[in-house]
Amino acid sequence: MKKLLDILPLVIFVTLIIVLFSFLSNEDDQLETALIDESFPEFSLTSLTDKTKVLTKSDISELPALINVWATWCIACKVEHPFLMQLKEESILPIYGLNYKDNRNKAIALLQADGNPFEFSIFDFEGRLAIDLGVYGAPETFFIDKAGLIRVRHVGVIDDKVWKEKFAKYLDE
Amino acid sequence: MNKILIIIFICSISLGILSEAEQKFTFDKEAYSFDNIVQEELFYSLLVELRCPKCQSSNLSGSNSPISNDLKREVYELVIKEQSAEEIKAYLVERYGNFIIYNPPIEPATYILWFGPFLLIILSLGSIILYRRKQA
Repeated sequence: MKKLLDILPLVIFVTLIIVLFSFLSNEDDQLETALIDESFPEFSLTSLTDKTKVLTKSDISELPALINVWATWCIACKVEHPFLMQLKEESILPIYGLNYKDNRNKAIALLQADGNPFEFSIFDFEGRLAIDLGVYGAPETFFIDKAGLIRVRHVGVIDDKVWKEKFAKYLDE
Repeated sequence: MNKILIIIFICSISLGILSEAEQKFTFDKEAYSFDNIVQEELFYSLLVELRCPKCQSSNLSGSNSPISNDLKREVYELVIKEQSAEEIKAYLVERYGNFIIYNPPIEPATYILWFGPFLLIILSLGSIILYRRKQA
């Protein structure tokens, strides 16, 4: 009994080290999403391509759909752009863009040069809708189901692997 | 026995130092004007309490990142609208989750956060006492 007590601190120490190390290798760095299963927030912002046109939630009419937060200053957005184009070309589902804190002319030029995967892009210069969505950077992608509820939020680049693991299952619902 | 008292004394001093929240403002304070001092105090106290979502170990007052400045504007507008501290925090938690507040609520998911340290204190004090008794 006494021997057991003597090595107890060591046992506790080793257990703690193992537990903490297991957290280190945990690669799930996604932040919690407050909006899962909530309805997509209301908004009133202009269209990227036409600053006189006001877009609202009712313009996101084809569901299910993806909402993709992007900007020209966002390098990772360029990385995922070909995959978004692929989703569009294969008519998997409509994608709506949320152009986030960007320069309108630069953003339009980029879509003309590289291709436009979006039905339309919402121009959110001040990050208003982004705050309602809990966005803290770009790229971020939300999946909106048939009923207009947010089902998935992905922070970071979306590619074939992420699509299959996180998004594809909701498409068949 | 005296030694234990000294240790407790030192621990309590260092706790006091740690709890002094760092109050630095790295942004242009002139950009925000208030109707009264109550609003102003509420605004600055919230900036210390709210975390920057992008730069996870900084609060809003210590960060100048675009998202922090957007959130400052959001908090400012809510303060001007005479919303209470609780309402403003609830508004942000609704969007960003508990992550956004440095002072998370006591709920099952945060039990280990709130009670873990006390458990550690009890465990270590308990083992010290046990060990001393064995030796005596």
